[in-house]
Amino acid sequence: MTELTEILQRQLALKLLKNGFHPEQVVTSAAALSCYGYDATRQQTEPMLALLPENEEQVKTILKIAGEKSLKIFPRGAGSGMSGGSIPTDDGIIISLTRMKQILEIDEENMIATVEPGVITGELQEEVSRCGLFYPPDPASLAFSTIGGNVTENAGGPRAVKYGVTGNFVMGLEAYLVNGEKIKCGNKCIKSVSGYDLTSLLVGSEGTLAIITKILLKLLPAPETVKTSLLAFASMSAAARAVNAMLKHQINPSTIEFLDHHSINAVRSALPFTLPEAADTVLLVEIDGPDALVKAQSEKLSRLFQDEALVLIEAKDENEREQLWLARRKLSPAIANIAPHKINEDIAVPLAAIPEVISRLEKLSQEIDLPIVCFGHAGDGNIHVNVMLDKNDPAQAIRGHKAIDEIFAITLELGGTLSGEHGIGNTKSAYFSKEWTPATIATMKAIKKAFDPGNRLNPGKIFPA
Amino acid sequence: MTMTQSEIYQELKKCVKCGACMAVCPIYRQTGREEMVARGKLNLIEIIHNNRELPEAWIEAVDHCLLCCSCEENCSKEVKITEVIAAARIHQTEIKGLNKVKKGAFALLKNRIFSIAKFVKLGSLVQWILWRRLPRHSGLVRRLPLPGIDENMVVPILPRRNLDDILKKRKINPQLPSLLFFPGCATRYLHPQMGLDLIFVLEQLGFNAIVPTEFNCCGMVTWGAGDAATNTQLKEGNLKVFNDNAQVKTVVTGCASCGHALKEYDNLPQECEILDISEFLFRHKEKLEQLVAGRNLTRKITYHDPCHLRKGQGITKEPRWLLKLIAGENFIEMRHPERCCGAGGTFGLTHKELSRKILKEKTDAADATGAEIVTSGCPGCLLQLTEGAVVADSSWQTEHPLSLLAELLRNS
Repeated sequence: MTELTEILQRQLALKLLKNGFHPEQVVTSAAALSCYGYDATRQQTEPMLALLPENEEQVKTILKIAGEKSLKIFPRGAGSGMSGGSIPTDDGIIISLTRMKQILEIDEENMIATVEPGVITGELQEEVSRCGLFYPPDPASLAFSTIGGNVTENAGGPRAVKYGVTGNFVMGLEAYLVNGEKIKCGNKCIKSVSGYDLTSLLVGSEGTLAIITKILLKLLPAPETVKTSLLAFASMSAAARAVNAMLKHQINPSTIEFLDHHSINAVRSALPFTLPEAADTVLLVEIDGPDALVKAQSEKLSRLFQDEALVLIEAKDENEREQLWLARRKLSPAIANIAPHKINEDIAVPLAAIPEVISRLEKLSQEIDLPIVCFGHAGDGNIHVNVMLDKNDPAQAIRGHKAIDEIFAITLELGGTLSGEHGIGNTKSAYFSKEWTPATIATMKAIKKAFDPGNRLNPGKIFPA
Repeated sequence: MTMTQSEIYQELKKCVKCGACMAVCPIYRQTGREEMVARGKLNLIEIIHNNRELPEAWIEAVDHCLLCCSCEENCSKEVKITEVIAAARIHQTEIKGLNKVKKGAFALLKNRIFSIAKFVKLGSLVQWILWRRLPRHSGLVRRLPLPGIDENMVVPILPRRNLDDILKKRKINPQLPSLLFFPGCATRYLHPQMGLDLIFVLEQLGFNAIVPTEFNCCGMVTWGAGDAATNTQLKEGNLKVFNDNAQVKTVVTGCASCGHALKEYDNLPQECEILDISEFLFRHKEKLEQLVAGRNLTRKITYHDPCHLRKGQGITKEPRWLLKLIAGENFIEMRHPERCCGAGGTFGLTHKELSRKILKEKTDAADATGAEIVTSGCPGCLLQLTEGAVVADSSWQTEHPLSLLAELLRNS
């Protein structure tokens, strides 16, 4: 930190303390600040100040005070993002919303929850389930990521196949513009077409347009039953055909996860059941809903694939269900044994393109001589591509980098997108112009300018520098 | 248990900053502060690694840890977080020294002349001047305003006779197979009845509990405070007792923290096995089921998982089996029994406000069950829970599951 920023930091801190902030909410020491400069992408920067507001009035105060000095603002939830969305790319103030974690209302009649942005997604799920309700979006980080982060990154999860992503559940928002003014969008109405849909615009805006302070979330009745099955196939194309057949036969799974053969090999020994050597692709299928429907659909699933599937295991109880899920849960730590580092991208492609993507990535893996492990959400085309390498080996690092360029090129060529659920952040912004035309990007930038003319709100994200 | 510098460095490098520790850290849950959660602490320790200048934020972060192991249990990279924190505290102690209160208290643990036993006895004579008995719970609260002690702070009643005194004239049956009983300081000096209960239950099962008076404190509290020298001294004393009694292979304890500490000792004699009492009883399931013979306590019971039992030793099913055995349908799970109660050794004393916030969620969960008794296999948790009941004005009592078992067996 330069002397100038240090003086500025002291001035700001004093002003905030005078305005009713508790010293615990104002982080000024360089050592502590280093803890607000990283996220799950392991980038490390040093913000000049981190603030932990406890209510929307305090958010407003911060924005007013920061505005006087034209300072940059970086909103932050749990800091568990996978694309650097919360990384302070420049001198500026972190607004950490972890202390705004009230569930303000669970409206059982309208089936809508009103929450502050710092509410932990898993805790919201737990609370609404006590009323017999259900908030379906289930990003892998749900036990610690915040709803605010989920909304601004438009996080998905395995259940997206049937239920959609976070954005499909956001009914309305309250947010503060960078100048400290409050906007409201959406409401509790199921049909609502009055004016531009600002709610959808703010969803997935990665904190670049406004600071969200209140969120209205749609809830569903909790499903009576969940049935989990594991199916193994001899090839990716056989598995892809199976996914297609399921959907065509009106089996409506909430989740269809897949593991490629690298993934299978990595977890095989940790599993409580045996998978044959010939198993090339594993599908983990979950069907939920009313008892009778789930039963009928599960039977149909078994009937359809009893010949083609190499293995078909149905979980009979919660314990067996957990055992089947082990295959997926053990995956991340298990693939870490393949190589010390991984570059992880979360591309998404149209459903029909999955076998093609997988086979081209296989070829790419041979060309660059690095293992590429794929797993993810077969039901919605969202694939987690992991290039395994040792970053300390410069030759491997270069090949890894080249692989990422190629992966994005293949994805876009097949009509896919750079990110299914992690967002662009600052780690993928360099590729952004490969996906969108100049006019499209210019339109997005014009919107950004309308919200934030000084480019002070989470700068350095989404758009290429 | 003490790590070398290079081992610490290896652990720090393992963290990928995924954030999973945030889901379970009781301190992060209350503060929302990134520097207070394992990921942030590891980051700070890495930045300041080997540095002799310790910034305030570093000291505060390292100090704000309950050593509850929740983060460790939830870490897919298996980073030995609590050991890193303990090592950081040792580093701090080497540079800054130990605070005076802890220094004085630890001196009692190792001093044979002015020992903790004598301190407690002296206390038992004068405690009534400053403290009064709680009407509904076992414990004392202050009579008059005292510095640093609020009106709800509960301290244990100091008994005139400790476990060693009571056991002096005990006759043991040499016919029975023997095992060592490590009572731990809380049972030995503060709640000797708990020790008698355990000995009684073991006798019923046909075992002789030997309780050597030479046992020291298990060392957990000194390890947690960064006092490596005292910790080593205490451990060596205990290892000597284990070695002197090497013909006895099994050591049982009723204290979750003692069990956790003992199991981590490096040089236990060969074949020496440390068991929590619930583990031991589970191994003698059939016999105990015969003894209980289908009788049940009629009061409603719930259970709090001591961190050092659940996360430290991975013991969850045995205490629940025991409670179902003694209470049947009257055993009700509370919400999130796994969450820390906020005691954390001396944390509850040094960070009263934060500890109480953590405790509040626990007492709310206990209240919601409608239980009359809240059980836990750790004297530290039990004292904290009693304080929670006083603060929340709840009527439930706190008991070690073993004391309930002894009650059931005595009444037959």
